[in-house]
Amino acid sequence: MIDFSSLQGDTLWERWQYFAQTTPDKEAIIHWRAADEPYRWTFSSLLETANKFSLYLKNIGVKKGDVCAIIIRHNPYFYPFYLGIAGIGALPSVLAYPNPRLHPDKFRQGLSGMAQRSGLDWIFTETPLEDIIQPFVEDESTTVDELFFPLEWDLNREIDQAAIQELSEIRTAIKSNEPMLLQHSSGTTGLQKPVVLSHDAVLKHVEYYGKSIELSEDDKIVSWLPLYHDMGLIAAYHLSLASGITTIQIDPFEWVLAPILLFMASSEEKATLTWLPNFAYNLMADKLSDEEMEDLSLESFRMIVNCSEPVRSDSHKKFIDRFNKYGLKANAIAAMYAMAETTLAVTQTATNKQALEVSIDREALSNGKIVLTDNPLKNRICVSSGKLIEGCTLKIVDDSRNEVAEDGSGEIAVKSVSMFSGYRNYPEKTAEVVDDEGWYYTGDIGFRYDDELYVIGRKKDVIIVAGNNIYPEDVEDAVSKVENVMPGRVIAFGEDDPELGTEQVSVIAETAVESEEEMKHRRVDIIRAGMAININIHEVYLAPPRWLIKSSSGKPSRKANRERIKNKNDEQVWSKK
Amino acid sequence: MISDRLKKIICDELYLDVNEIEITDETEAPQVPGWDSLNHSNIIVAIEKDYGVRFKGLEVLKCNNVGALQNLINSKISQ
Repeated sequence: MIDFSSLQGDTLWERWQYFAQTTPDKEAIIHWRAADEPYRWTFSSLLETANKFSLYLKNIGVKKGDVCAIIIRHNPYFYPFYLGIAGIGALPSVLAYPNPRLHPDKFRQGLSGMAQRSGLDWIFTETPLEDIIQPFVEDESTTVDELFFPLEWDLNREIDQAAIQELSEIRTAIKSNEPMLLQHSSGTTGLQKPVVLSHDAVLKHVEYYGKSIELSEDDKIVSWLPLYHDMGLIAAYHLSLASGITTIQIDPFEWVLAPILLFMASSEEKATLTWLPNFAYNLMADKLSDEEMEDLSLESFRMIVNCSEPVRSDSHKKFIDRFNKYGLKANAIAAMYAMAETTLAVTQTATNKQALEVSIDREALSNGKIVLTDNPLKNRICVSSGKLIEGCTLKIVDDSRNEVAEDGSGEIAVKSVSMFSGYRNYPEKTAEVVDDEGWYYTGDIGFRYDDELYVIGRKKDVIIVAGNNIYPEDVEDAVSKVENVMPGRVIAFGEDDPELGTEQVSVIAETAVESEEEMKHRRVDIIRAGMAININIHEVYLAPPRWLIKSSSGKPSRKANRERIKNKNDEQVWSKK
Repeated sequence: MISDRLKKIICDELYLDVNEIEITDETEAPQVPGWDSLNHSNIIVAIEKDYGVRFKGLEVLKCNNVGALQNLINSKISQ
């Protein structure tokens, strides 16, 4: 196991530099490519190129504390560029590359929302996005100074001694308690919550989380997770770089089209660790054929960690049953409870042991009580997310934020030494979720049993599709603008898709149209409205005017209407089925 | 050119009216209502079932539009 106390470096740059000096030839990042040989960065070559980027950034005017948005697809130069930003004390912030279906106006609107909250100072992207982003940069109200294309920069120039000295002085002035990176929660129209993390927060998390999974120098991480997602950025990127181990990075766009890439890369490179959202277990078990799996081995995996959406027992079982014959060990199946606000992990299941499961009485659970049962007709199998990692505490509270009894369920509140310092420029949102004692109220519902945390649902309305958080407000706003849909008379919610092992987005919209033909048109228009904000609306329910139940605030109630759709086969409601 | 058969499979899988949705050789998945990354694998499975062929993930990855997907199907059928 890695002895974290022996690792040097109080800031991330110092830590990376430490590995570049002590293990210069060790592979830091293997940039996986579906149709080409992987590109391999050693710790020394990575830092050498990062230095060149740092100098370039300094010369164009980027300063300590500036927020640098990076919108770059899977590219080997992304990594040293990211490090180069941190290397001058600026804050890298990885943003999602726009899907072709996302309307340019919506993309700019999202950028604008982020810029207001996060105070984006610079945008670094690829030339194909210039026409889309430039109007936003030129807008009078923008905070962004300029747009640059770092992949076009000439990195062949050698750095002279004076420049090295200048960079060294800049780096010496970076303190460990200062901001290191900025990441955003999901959302498309200004609902993003920017989370700033310090060097201390990231390094402490790397240490405590690393210990919880008994990270060793021989471990190798493999990941297809996008780096704008906390699980991808912290678990599969920062964890490896700050621990001196290798990470193999796969393009998320390629993985989703060819999930076999994960196992090809892991088998070839003998990867030991990966993190996956629950849907990936179903997708891979269902879609990978024996023909594709031929000659691949999963024996090297010691932990496959489920996180980012509710962990399902069925998904674990399906995955083990499918891949056992390729060397997958059942005791590699693990789970974690994590969030961007605590840098990442709060709890983690044990190593060399399959994530525990308990059989709970469903009815008692709906009343907030934890009662074990063996009755398969009454039970719900809950999967553990493990024990608290060092530096974290949690409590389970009721609606008044009072702690519930030991056998009760409620909202999960957490504290961590790697806690965020509040949402940037969003004090009202911070005040909603963090109390005076520093407890962060997660909005997730769970319970503790035998010292392990079980997460069973959410208090908030957020929809989690394949590990991505989607805010129903975003969908409702977009659908409300569709022709012949009654403005404001729309609700969006998540519907369970057991086959895919995730939730899908459903919409109920009121409309006065009546014919089958017109209903079909409305459905396609509503799906297109979702596409324009890069959200796939899976199910559309069209209801007549005044069908939606209102809440006490006068707005349509998501909960009541979701229940109404689920429980009744209402003839007034049209859907595709 | 893409066949009516392929177009119908795609539309059926996405519950779209085949007469209303324009799908050509150049059409890319994100342009078709409902064709996202999660539905993608369902569409591929539906095509495999209907044509009685099997694709490898990497073969599908190389298809950047519906025309390329049709070519892949044609090459499988002719094998």
